[in-house]
Amino acid sequence: MRALGRWLAEHWIAVGSPIVLLVVWERASATGLLREAFFPRPSTIVAHLRQLAADGTLWRHTAATLARIGWAFALAAVLGVGIGLAMGLWRRLREGLDPVFAVIYPIPSVLFLPLVSFLVPPGEIALVVTTAVTSFFLIAFTTTHGVRQIDRLVVEAAVHYGARGWRLFATVLLPGALPFIFTGLRLGLGFALIVVVAVEIVSASRGLGALLWLSWQILKVEDMYATFFVIALLGAVLSYGLAALRARLLPWVQDVAGRP
Amino acid sequence: MSLAVPAALLALWELCSRLAIISPRYFPPPTTVGWVLVDRVAAGDLGAQSLITLTRLAFAFALAALPGVILGLLMGVARPVRDAVEPYIAFIFPVPKIALLPFLLIILGVGEPAFVLTGATSAFFQIVISTLGGVQTMDPRLLEVGRNYGAHGPRLFWKVILPAALPAIFTGLRLGLGLALVALVAVEFIAAKSGLGHLVYRHWQMLSTPEMYAAFAIVGALGLVLTRGLQALQARVLTWQEDIGRV
Repeated sequence: MRALGRWLAEHWIAVGSPIVLLVVWERASATGLLREAFFPRPSTIVAHLRQLAADGTLWRHTAATLARIGWAFALAAVLGVGIGLAMGLWRRLREGLDPVFAVIYPIPSVLFLPLVSFLVPPGEIALVVTTAVTSFFLIAFTTTHGVRQIDRLVVEAAVHYGARGWRLFATVLLPGALPFIFTGLRLGLGFALIVVVAVEIVSASRGLGALLWLSWQILKVEDMYATFFVIALLGAVLSYGLAALRARLLPWVQDVAGRP
Repeated sequence: MSLAVPAALLALWELCSRLAIISPRYFPPPTTVGWVLVDRVAAGDLGAQSLITLTRLAFAFALAALPGVILGLLMGVARPVRDAVEPYIAFIFPVPKIALLPFLLIILGVGEPAFVLTGATSAFFQIVISTLGGVQTMDPRLLEVGRNYGAHGPRLFWKVILPAALPAIFTGLRLGLGLALVALVAVEFIAAKSGLGHLVYRHWQMLSTPEMYAAFAIVGALGLVLTRGLQALQARVLTWQEDIGRV
């Protein structure tokens, strides 16, 4: 209780500011100061959120989005870490792929949807692959950088003591690059969410992005706000949750990008 | 930068497409794309569409840059401001900004202001967070030295805090510009009826693939120029600091 009091004394502004905002918003919409058609009251939005959750709509769309993020992230993580490690280890591979990556990486990932839909059967697989593209590059980049920043002395010492092949990889290179790999994975997961929403807006009938876009098209403004809230919640859980997980599971591993 | 591998990949693509190992309808040979690119640029419409995207980008960036830096600095030096604003920044930052588009569309109507603002918010949050990070991670000894030599208030800010935060601010602006481009092209792809993003979408729908790849190539070149060019500029202007935000 004392601890809570102290915490509140320290953070009262951070706690109070959203509460004040919500109350002012509620009053402003109720009295017509804000147009309720555009800015529905927070209480109305909560009611719609509960209704969407009660009839199962919300879960269905959230599950679809989560499944896509999961597959895309798995795909990007395996390929990104694998190729990133290889690029970190072999200079020729790195020099060969660098210019290719440099051109492809800054292209917004939604644009890959047409390309991907030519390559793989359109539908679910195309959505997942498109979602994975940017995450893949991000993870590969950070992993490469992670391997390259390992102290050469450490590697040489390990080699002198007879570590080769798999042992060198598992006991020196992988642990050395781990902070960077982890940062890359966290950023990659964040990007997967960003891209999946955009891709769902363009070409899906299920998923939170699709629900948001549909709610706009039929002007269900309250549902728009409710969906947005769920997307934001997902973003917060993915980015802050993963950071907390790292702090708990791998406390010795630093997050090189600092805050998300 | 070695160009052997990209050249080899393009040659392989050309060969496979010419020999119909991959469908030339979906993957036209790069030379065909190249000719279409030259053709469209000569006809003027590719340039015009690029200009539309660039104009939107300029407006979005202009809207985001100054307010973002100012808010970031304010949050850095004034604790109450940081406490009051941080919950919103933390809540909105991980959200795909494209999800804001429908809100801006209903409030502002379908049109340029909604498109540009979506790009601007994308950049804004990144700029705020980088700027704040720059102030927060500055060496506290610099502050103490500055104070001991009699710098207070505005002087401390202009002479010590701002220069110390400058590299992070620049990094924020650079990342912000990139994010604004990504958001704008996505917006064009989804909702606008002009710009490079829309061009890719339209030619995808019409299956005029050479034109689609041509627009695609322009977007790639634009992104490359923006990211690499600004990195070079940053290295040149801020020679005394290493880039903090490079990942």
